[in-house]
Amino acid sequence: MDRDEIEGLIARVALQDRAAFEELYDRVSAKLFGVCLRVLTKRAAAEDAMQDTFVKIWKNADRYQANGLSPMTWLITIARNTSIDRLRARRKGHQDIDTPGLDLAAPGPSPEQFAIAASEAAKLTDCLDALEADRGAAVRGAYLDGQTYAELADRFNVPLNTMRTWLRRGLIALRECMSA
Amino acid sequence: MTDDPLTPRDEDDFLAAEYALGLAEGEDLTAARDRLRRDRDFAERVALWQERLVVMTDGIAPVTPGRKAKKELIKRLFPKQRVPLLERLWVWKGFTLAALIALAYFAMPTLRPPLPEAPLQLYATPLRGDVDDLELLAVVDPAKGDVALRRISGGAPSGRVLELWAILPDQAPISLGVLPTEENARVMLPQALRDSVPLLTLAISDEPPGGAPEGSPTGAIRAVGALSAL
Repeated sequence: MDRDEIEGLIARVALQDRAAFEELYDRVSAKLFGVCLRVLTKRAAAEDAMQDTFVKIWKNADRYQANGLSPMTWLITIARNTSIDRLRARRKGHQDIDTPGLDLAAPGPSPEQFAIAASEAAKLTDCLDALEADRGAAVRGAYLDGQTYAELADRFNVPLNTMRTWLRRGLIALRECMSA
Repeated sequence: MTDDPLTPRDEDDFLAAEYALGLAEGEDLTAARDRLRRDRDFAERVALWQERLVVMTDGIAPVTPGRKAKKELIKRLFPKQRVPLLERLWVWKGFTLAALIALAYFAMPTLRPPLPEAPLQLYATPLRGDVDDLELLAVVDPAKGDVALRRISGGAPSGRVLELWAILPDQAPISLGVLPTEENARVMLPQALRDSVPLLTLAISDEPPGGAPEGSPTGAIRAVGALSAL
């Protein structure tokens, strides 16, 4: 998907341009719906989450420029976070995951950093596979299934602190591997 | 914790990753949100983690959502504007028209019975806006220069008054005065505007007490409606 085109559409949506909003929907809704469906598995729930995602996009597009994310990352991250919020919604004391860039006063990464991030990105899958199997699975469980520390600890049958240590080491190793 | 101590840089990076993953909870989450606002380096780390992690969605195949989903979304975001014209006309005829006729009947008793040689021609419109729920109905009798208004909902924001404006195409708004706080109001239309009623748009802005000081609107336009023949 063309980065500049999506960015242009988001910029027009920020000016409350409805035609641009509908075009953006036509361009990215299948990808975002796929992400919602992967997290929530049920079609009805995924459609609700996708609608909520687009409501957030409409309302927050004016803050996109400031958050430093590439356009598809911003859109997909909203869809992922919205789906996981919905998945967790019934749990007591759940705090919503933030919409990326919403509270961001600080400007995001520079274009150079993004070029690096993009080249790193290609390595993610290999790097996840290179982690000890359980740790890779824990990172995937947190990101794609919204599992909390408690749930991950339960799933892998380890104490909570151990799980935190796993993830800590796993994520640092992941970063090192991706930037190697 | 008995694991090897992390460098402060790694510790920060881990907190950023935890936040991006949605694993941060309670105090950690509050602290992360706070840092995100103030600490540029931390905000960058979070953004970079979001870029790294999003790659996990690369393998997720796009799935076309149902057509209904888009319709529902548009309806949800743009509830008024998106109603099809025919439906709007129907609502207008079935509901608002009745209200307007009732308003005309009660507001302009001198008009009944209408003089046989001068057929009664009234113009009317609902006035609505996007700012809040302010909504009025207006009925205009061009022959008498009479404007009757009934407030359906909403009112002036605190410390402000509502001022009514008449607008002809490509011309500056002409003040018809500050509206009273009562539900019903009567306003006289200046002689110069009486022949142009079919072209008139009525608008309401909020203004400082006493009305717009310079004779042109200074506050937000809170409700608008273009007159049409009843």
